[in-house]
Parts: sequence; structure tokens; C-alpha cells
Amino acid sequence: MTATLARATAPPTAPRRRRRPTRRQGVAYLLLAPAVAVLAIGLGYPVWWQVTSSFKEFGLAQQFGQPAPWVGLDNYVRIFTSDALWAVVLRSIAFCLFNAFVTVAIGVGLALLMRAAGRWARLALQVAMLLAWAMPMVAAVTVFKWLFDWRTGVVNWLFVRAGVVEMHEHHWLASPLSFFLVASLVIIWMSVPFVALSVYAGLMQVPEEVREAARIDGASATQQFWHVTVPMIRPVLAIVLLLQIIWDLRVFGQIRLLQDGGAPVGDTNLLGNFIFELGIGRQDFAGAAAVSIFVLALTALVSWPYVRALIKELDR
Amino acid sequence: MKILRFAAVGVAATLALAACSSSPSTPEPSGTDAASPTQSETEAPAPEGAEITLWLAGGDTPDELREYLKTTFAEQNPGSTLVIEQQEWGDLVTALTTALPDAANTPDVVEIGNTQSPTFTTVGAFRDLSPLYDELGGDKLLQSFVEVGTVDGKKYALPYYFGSRYMFYRPDIWSAAGVEVPGTLGEFTEAVAKLRTNDMSGFAMGGQDWRNGISWVFAHGGELATAEGTTWTSTLSDPKTIAGLEAWQEVYQKASNLPATDRDVAYWEFLNDGTDGAAPPAATIMAPGWARWSIGDLTTNDAGDEVRDGMADESKFDIFALPGVDGGIAPVFAGGSNIAISAQSQNPELAENLLRIIFSEEYQTLLGQNGLGPAHSDYVSALGDDKFARTMIDTAAGSKLTPAAPGWAAIEGALVYEDLFQKIAEGGDVTALAAEYDAILTPMLNGQTS
Repeated sequence: MTATLARATAPPTAPRRRRRPTRRQGVAYLLLAPAVAVLAIGLGYPVWWQVTSSFKEFGLAQQFGQPAPWVGLDNYVRIFTSDALWAVVLRSIAFCLFNAFVTVAIGVGLALLMRAAGRWARLALQVAMLLAWAMPMVAAVTVFKWLFDWRTGVVNWLFVRAGVVEMHEHHWLASPLSFFLVASLVIIWMSVPFVALSVYAGLMQVPEEVREAARIDGASATQQFWHVTVPMIRPVLAIVLLLQIIWDLRVFGQIRLLQDGGAPVGDTNLLGNFIFELGIGRQDFAGAAAVSIFVLALTALVSWPYVRALIKELDR
Repeated sequence: MKILRFAAVGVAATLALAACSSSPSTPEPSGTDAASPTQSETEAPAPEGAEITLWLAGGDTPDELREYLKTTFAEQNPGSTLVIEQQEWGDLVTALTTALPDAANTPDVVEIGNTQSPTFTTVGAFRDLSPLYDELGGDKLLQSFVEVGTVDGKKYALPYYFGSRYMFYRPDIWSAAGVEVPGTLGEFTEAVAKLRTNDMSGFAMGGQDWRNGISWVFAHGGELATAEGTTWTSTLSDPKTIAGLEAWQEVYQKASNLPATDRDVAYWEFLNDGTDGAAPPAATIMAPGWARWSIGDLTTNDAGDEVRDGMADESKFDIFALPGVDGGIAPVFAGGSNIAISAQSQNPELAENLLRIIFSEEYQTLLGQNGLGPAHSDYVSALGDDKFARTMIDTAAGSKLTPAAPGWAAIEGALVYEDLFQKIAEGGDVTALAAEYDAILTPMLNGQTS
């Protein structure tokens, strides 16, 4: 994570590098070789396994030594013709986009607040966010589960105290919509600090003179934000948004832990949980591998525009 | 560098997602290293100085019994040691799926939930124990558990212990409301419906809790599935099964305040008084016998910790067996475990020696004294003859198991019955749901992927 953070907070306009002599390039490749080898072994091998088993018949019997015959695209056909998958895909994409955009919006808001706040207030805010960011996921979800517990949760209690008696013993996790509301709260709460701190670092790169000039020219605060600040921190915004989308698409643990508390599992599965249920739950390893490959493609598709933009910037 | 580092982050993120599927090649971290295979490559009968591993599920086997196994094994097999590792119930099937096929990492002896046995016996994960069967107790072993571990007449998994479930209730609250311990299942529904208030379940039952719920199916003479030869058919649409499911729907809707989505509920907490003597959240629960030790008034144990007194006050806490439709005792879902030897075990002789200890009179008696039903019928008396032991033996005698179908663990893993029972609890049309889920379950029972 520190690498990501450092990466994201680096000045958006790094000095362009000059081409070095060929001899130096050889050394560079040599230095890169170990990292590439580790990547190839650590990531390449599992992916190769994933791809090959998605074309085989691979269930519990194969795990215990039965031959795994090639079945071509059978697994893909079987998975993609089931309604269950498409419901999960649509749900995951909607959930991911909602959370990513809300997280970035709140994060930007907090970053602006930090810039405007006094030293001590800013420090308090930063410490609070770092603590939230450092909270282990399981602990965070457990706390939220307790908050929203139908019998002893403080949320229902507050509602009843405020006069909303229908909320007495309200079952938050029992219907998919309020289940996802709770899940979104956990996920947004956990990821806002990263966005806020990254964007705040980006804001620090916006020269005070530029904003002053805009002010003198009569730009309102809103105009300053949209026409001066946003264009200057666009690279940071793009990265944190992309990372949020990727992270929120692969949400798994939060949903799983909330489901353990009793939830309509079939109606609340996201892609990660769906794959888990297929592979671990039903021992349909081949089907799970096929869905994983699909998710891999989906993630590549989502991140492709950004990677292309990055390459263009580099070629400039 | 910039682009490379970013690419690395991107690739890592993407692959972490893909890795969710747990490619079958990925070994499951299973605590400590299992027996080292190098020591046993000689294939000598009872290798010297070997180490074998026993996987126990959950904390059900008390420490006293674990110590007994370790000491006795070391005494009877000089130079060899027994290592006991505990796996949690929720991850047991996953851990077994990844560890059993791997000769270098397999545990030698494993405890497995009785209903999970067929999943592994049918793919050849366990060693054939038929030659040992008569020596370990033969026909005196609990037969329903033996059957669930048998494939084509060969015995791959034997009973470890049995449990049962019965009703725990609050006599003080029941008598204050003027209801008596019921004689039939219908009277039970009436009684707990009458006890229910806005703040207290007459009978606390989560909507997804099919393991307790199927008792109503069994009580009405229904079955979840039947086998013809080796072909399984889901029989939810059988009129008797439907009658049972409808009776369960009625008792859930009339008597329970719990969400329709609740499953693994710590029911015993519902029976205890609230803070400062407040009324409990439920007047009746259904739970395994050992729940007793989590129920009662607060007291202090020798170590000075606050614990429950194990239902010492009979005027406040008591038990009864779930009554049948026409009186008597309803057949409930039998709890308990089987035990088996991994087919890949590098020390099968030592593993068999461990089974000899487990099925010995001493260990079977220890099981009984600790409230776990001994697998060997000669030693069931070790359970004692207080009301807890009697009720456990009576309910276990009529209890039933879930279908011994190859796809059963996959059905449990995919939470299919949880979904079905939730929909019934929410007031769904039982006949329509039964037909819908029969179509889903029949291929799954036979181990076919959707």
C-alpha cells in the first residue's frame, strides 16, 4: 500500500526522462529480471492453472486424482447461459460504481476541508482517517455488524429513541437493499481515508498563485474548484477512481462476513462471493475458474482506458 | 519505472481478484506441518519414530480426551507421536478438499461431520476400514453413521460420537403464561405461539435454520431425498414432506421473532435472563445437549470467571424432547461425527492403531462421561442417567440423518436449504417452492454441476 500511496502522491508532472545509452539499458533489464521472474512464477503459474482448468472438467473427483478431460468451452457455456451469473455481474458492477464514485466524492470533500481547516483541526482529521484506514477489515465489519444488530444494535436503539418505533428490532441484513446499504457504509468508511489523503496531497501541488489569480479574476469558489483545481489534480483523481473501481469490484470479505450474520445469500452475492460459492462451496473448480477468467477480463476492460492514457502520456 | 510499478499494482489487484476462485492447486494453510513423509518411505509395518496427525473438528472433543489420546498413543507406539490439530467446522470441507489428496500434507486420521462423509467416501479420499470393522465393534457401532460412511459395502468412515438435539425452556415463564409441556407437535406450536410477545420469541428459530427445521419434516414422516440404486431424487414435493414444511412455517411465523435470514444462532443466549434480571428474549429454544453449559444463572467457577451454572435452578430452566405429531418423540436431525483414515496416509498402520484406541472401552467411556454419545452401543450407559442423558439417548434413538448423497457437501456449501427455508419462513407457497427446489436439488444430490 505504501508503494501505491507514494505513487499516487508523486507530483503529477514528473520531469521527462531522457533516453540513456544502450549499455545502461542492458543493466536495467538485468536489474529487472529478478522482479519479472518472481512475477512470472508467483502470478503466472496460478493464472496458467486457472486458464487450463477452466477448459477442463474439474470437480472434487478430479481433485482426488481422477483424470480431468478437456471439455473446451463447456464450462463457459454452462456459466454464461445461467441467469445467476448475469444477475451477479450486474449487481457487482452497480455496487462497484456506486461505491467508487461516492468514496471519491466524499474523499475530495474531506481533502478540501483539510486544506481549508486550521492546523490542529487538520491534524485531528488526518489522525482519525489514518486510524480508520489502519483498522483491519474483519474488525471493521464486526463493529458495523454490532451497530446494525437487529436486537442489540445501537442504530435501531437510536431510531426508537428518536421516535421511529417501527425500527424496533428492524432486520437490516434481511433484505438485499438494506444489506447493501450496510455493506456500502463499511466499504466507503474504510476507503475514504486513502482517497482523501491522496487527493489532499494532490491539492498541495496546486500553486497558491494560480488560485489567487483566479480569485482576482472574479472566479467563485465553485468555479475555482471546477475550472482550476480539478484539471490540475485530474491525474490523482483518475488513479484513485480507477483503484477504487478495481478494489470495489473485487469486494469479497466484507460481504462474506455480513452474510455470516444471516442474510439472503443468493440475493447478496457479488462476483467474488459467487466464485467462492462455486469453487469452495460446490467444489465446481472448473466453473469457478471460468468465472474468474471472466472477471479478469472485466477488470482489464475497466482499467484499459487509463492504461492507454498513461502510455500516451509516456510517449509524448 | 513509473509505468512498470503501476502495472505491477494493476496486475496484482487483478490477480488477487482472480485468485478468489482458489485454484485447486493452491494448498490450504492448515496450521502446522503434517507428518514428514521422509521418515516413512521405507514402508515398514509400523515405522519407528513416525508422527501422525489427527484433525479434530471444532472444540467438541474436550482437552482431557485429547490428552488421553496423545499419552495412550505414545505409550502403545513407542517412538511415535500423535499430533492433534483442530480445524473449524466452517472450513472443514475446504481444508479436507485441499489436504487429503496431497500425500505430503494429508492428516492421517480425520473427524468429519456425519453428513459430509459421502462427499469424500465416494471420491476415494479415505482408506477402506472393512478389515478392521469387526475388531472395532462391528454391528455394535451406531449403524446409521456406519451406513453414511459406506460405499459399495466397503466401510470408509466410522462413527466417532453422536449428539442429539432437544428443547430447552423456561418453566417459570411457561407456567406464568398458563401453558404446559406439550404432548404433541400441534400442542407445541399452540403453546409457543401463546408465549410469544413483541419482545420475546415463544420459540426462537432463525428462518434459515434448516438443521433444526427438518425435524418437522421427519416428524411428519417426510424425507428430503430418496435413492434408487445410486440415483438420488429430491422429495420435497412429497405430501408428507410438504406437511412437515408447512408445520414448520406455522411455528416459525407464529412463535419466532428472529429474522428469516438467521441461521447459526447462539440460541442458548436467548434463554438466559437479560442484563439486571431482564426477561429473556425467548421462552423456548432447540439446541444440542451441550448447550446446557451455556444456560443458567451466572455463577463463579474455581478460576474466578463468571460462568453459567448449567441449568441448576430447575424451576427456571428445564428440557423436554420435541414431541411427535401423534405424541411420543419426534425424530430430529442427528448430530455427530464420523472418523476416517486418509487414503494418502503415509502411516496407515499407526493410524489404525489410533482408531483402536478411539474405539477402546476406556476412550468410549470418556466420551460418554463428557456428554458425547459413544459410537459403541455397549458404552452408551457412560452418558449417565440424569434427565439430560436420558433425553439425549431417547431423542438420538429416533433421530435421522440427511441423505448420504455424493453431492450433499456441495448442497451445504451452496446454502441451498438455507435459501429454501428462508423463503418458507418469509411466507412463501410451500408447494411451489418444493417443486422449484426439487429441480435444483436432484442434479446436485447426484454430484452434477448445475
